[in-house]
Amino acid sequence: MNNVIECKNLTHYYGKKLVYENLNFNVREGSILGLLGKNGAGKTTTINILHGFLQPRAGECLIYGENTQHLSPQTKSRIGFLIEGHVQYAFMDIHQIEKFYSGFYPHWNKEPYWELMSKLKVDPNQKISSMSCGQRSQVALGLILAQEPDLLILDDFSMGLDPGYRRLFIDYLRTYAKAENKTIFATSHIVQDMERLIDDVLIMDYNRVLAHSPIDEFMTGFKQFRFKMEPNGVDLEKEDFVVNLETTKNEFELYTYESEKFVKGFLDKNGIRYADFSMVPMGLEDAFIGLTGKY
Amino acid sequence: MNKISRYILVFITILAASVALPELYWLAFEKPINAPFTMYSSQEHDFFMIKREQGETVRVDRKGNEYTRDEFELKLPMFFSRQLALNGTLPDSLNGVALDLHEISRARSSFRFRARDMQTPTPELYPLFESESGRANLEMPTDFFRITHRMEFLDAATNTIDERKSQMFTTVLNNRDFNYPAKMIAGIPTTRKSCDEGYFVVDSKDMMYHVKMIKSEPYVRKIEVPDGLTFRHISCVDFSDKKYYSYLISEDDGLYILTQDVYEFIRWPFDALQPETDELRIYGNLFHYTVITRRPGYQKAMALDTEYNKVDEFTETWKEREETKQGKIASFIFPAEMRLSVPTTNFIDFYGERTKKFNWVFLNLFLVLVQIIIIRRTKLKMQKNILDLVIVGITGIYGFIAVNFFQNKFFD
Amino acid sequence: MIKSIVYKEWIKTRWFLLILTILGLLAVGNIFLKVQHYITFNEAHNYWYLVLFQNQQYFKGLKFIPLVIGLVIALVQYIPEITNKRIKLTFHLPINENKALLMMLGYGVAVLLLSFALLLIVFIFLSQHFFGAEIVHSALISVTPWFLAGLAAYFLSALVVMEAIWKYRIAYFLASAAFILFFFEKGMAGAYAPLNWKLAVLTLLISLSMTFSAYRFRKGEM
Repeated sequence: MNNVIECKNLTHYYGKKLVYENLNFNVREGSILGLLGKNGAGKTTTINILHGFLQPRAGECLIYGENTQHLSPQTKSRIGFLIEGHVQYAFMDIHQIEKFYSGFYPHWNKEPYWELMSKLKVDPNQKISSMSCGQRSQVALGLILAQEPDLLILDDFSMGLDPGYRRLFIDYLRTYAKAENKTIFATSHIVQDMERLIDDVLIMDYNRVLAHSPIDEFMTGFKQFRFKMEPNGVDLEKEDFVVNLETTKNEFELYTYESEKFVKGFLDKNGIRYADFSMVPMGLEDAFIGLTGKY
Repeated sequence: MNKISRYILVFITILAASVALPELYWLAFEKPINAPFTMYSSQEHDFFMIKREQGETVRVDRKGNEYTRDEFELKLPMFFSRQLALNGTLPDSLNGVALDLHEISRARSSFRFRARDMQTPTPELYPLFESESGRANLEMPTDFFRITHRMEFLDAATNTIDERKSQMFTTVLNNRDFNYPAKMIAGIPTTRKSCDEGYFVVDSKDMMYHVKMIKSEPYVRKIEVPDGLTFRHISCVDFSDKKYYSYLISEDDGLYILTQDVYEFIRWPFDALQPETDELRIYGNLFHYTVITRRPGYQKAMALDTEYNKVDEFTETWKEREETKQGKIASFIFPAEMRLSVPTTNFIDFYGERTKKFNWVFLNLFLVLVQIIIIRRTKLKMQKNILDLVIVGITGIYGFIAVNFFQNKFFD
Repeated sequence: MIKSIVYKEWIKTRWFLLILTILGLLAVGNIFLKVQHYITFNEAHNYWYLVLFQNQQYFKGLKFIPLVIGLVIALVQYIPEITNKRIKLTFHLPINENKALLMMLGYGVAVLLLSFALLLIVFIFLSQHFFGAEIVHSALISVTPWFLAGLAAYFLSALVVMEAIWKYRIAYFLASAAFILFFFEKGMAGAYAPLNWKLAVLTLLISLSMTFSAYRFRKGEM
């Protein structure tokens, strides 16, 4: 399958502070990739580079083979950008804004837009600025859908949405994307819903990529084991297979890609006594916190 | 396009800064420079002057001897005749002429010409007064004339041309072989004058005419101008001695008078006038004319007798603004200064002047060094900043501000 | 595409444009009401005399009107674009970024020229009603820099508003303000005759200034 987005050897600094070095990732055509990371991990930097608003210190990002710094109008017409906070021309009403955008896109299809609008209880002449966050998100989404893009880049689409709208947004998007073989690159602060949306996950931490794989693979491969033990001098955190270790009194939460058998074997081999050993089922949010740590 | 935009912005910032910064500097630090006021004494046959030194008014003669106010005024009876008469100290006669207060004031004249009188926008519409109305006071006419392809009178109330009057005057002008349009029209367009002498009009072939309106009829007289003599400026005067109509400045910068009634052009023995920059003052009295030409830091005073022969002259210089302490400091800061208005003209334009002393070179070089450090510290490429450095090197503080206001940060 | 951009700019500016142009026309009307009033009490030829020889500038009331119009149009056109960094939406449109900016700028220039032309036509018409051609001509020389200032203020306000970093925004403002003073030097009627064409050239030169700060924005200087 073709890669729609290819980012190669991205390196960027803010002043002297390294954001990341030699970051590589791809987004396959027809897939939905979720970029997750804590604040300051480089999510916004990556989005800005994809938007063409930031020149990385080294490396490049290509969308449909074109450097994001100078996308041609033809390529831009294939991309739907959702800006953080569902920013739109708030001084327009929903008719004006539809009229405005329809002039730019040859394949403009207003049906999905009006379908979404019909679900909103807004006055036809109501300015977008006077709408709620949720309503605005639907306007922004509707406009992108009407544009009929092949690729959607959604920056923090869940911001400011209450759970209902978030769910509505995600479900609509996934159904739409899968039905029409769209590619989506999405970031979000709220991790829990992403599981319903994405095919692939890319988790970033300061300066590095923590995980980049299909979501199913990640969810089955990454595990949490909870047990009690008496510390005996072996520093588990230093072990390669331990991704993260959270401690409360003598209760331990161990995150790893290894199997239960491997972990138990390691504990036995090192003569560590443990009790109440269990594997805890995790959602994406738990896994994300397990991977990146609570702090 | 973005790079060109930046250089344009840098350019206009340099322009704006070269006006604004010196203006602010002088607003804060400028000290008054008083030119001496020089008079020729018909009694002592020498020059006397009033100066301001360290905030004090001092009265001195040419050799520098100081006088009290009373002593000084006694030396210059023609300038202070009224005060002396009040004190009862006006001499009975001077140079063999009995002094009469009325005669003194009748012969007294004062004239001032500034370069800006010549260099000024003038809408070419003039009021033509009735010269012999039989009334004690002059009255402002209700129409204004222009001389373009003919002489036209424009009625102010209706803003329409008075055809009858226009044709009447045009016919007379035609009869006197007037060549349209008028090149210069000089008169005293005010009712506050002792009497009206109409206008002196120079036509397109440099012929001069005296145009008046007498009892509603045109009076046009062609004036015989000596061959080859053309004028660039005419200032009409209204002196009570009625000796001449006007001062005139010829194309070769000679100063002439045009005598009344016989229309004789008399050139004054005078060769130092630069009408584009100078200020000229002429004080006449019963015995002499004191003629002063002044430019920054320099003035030449000349005394002429009543037959317009030079009897004495005296040149003075003083520190102009550039030579004062504030001026010297400025020369270390500003490579040049620009102004939109200057005293020598009423036109607004860019008037730039390079600072004569090269003291600013030090600051320019220092700012180039600072700019190099700034470029290093902001990790910009030196090759791409050569032009910026050249700009700072040449324009100094102005360019330094400009290139840093508009960051030279581009991504290729 | 150009229709869409004009449509968006029109939505942002229409009321301001309309109200400011009407206020401008009222100001022009006021100028001549004052002239009319003076003439009624003191006769026309005395007023002409003041205008011709006493530097009475009957057109003074126009001084800051084009400046205010240019400034306000720039603000209502560009402040909504930098609010929440909305200008990103423009850069994402399937159109060359500079082309999109130039269309916005072109719209602004076009409506300003229309508004200014209307004010000038009414001003000239009424001037010609009251005054001779020489007086009208010198008045036009004097009001020309004020109208150019309206355009210059529009271009430079766009530059200032589009800059995302406050430090530089202030720097641009200072440079712009010092430059705008060129258009408001006090002087006699007609005194601007030698400078007007130079100011026109400078105004033309700065017409694309806004692309500089927009470029900086696009390249991450925000």
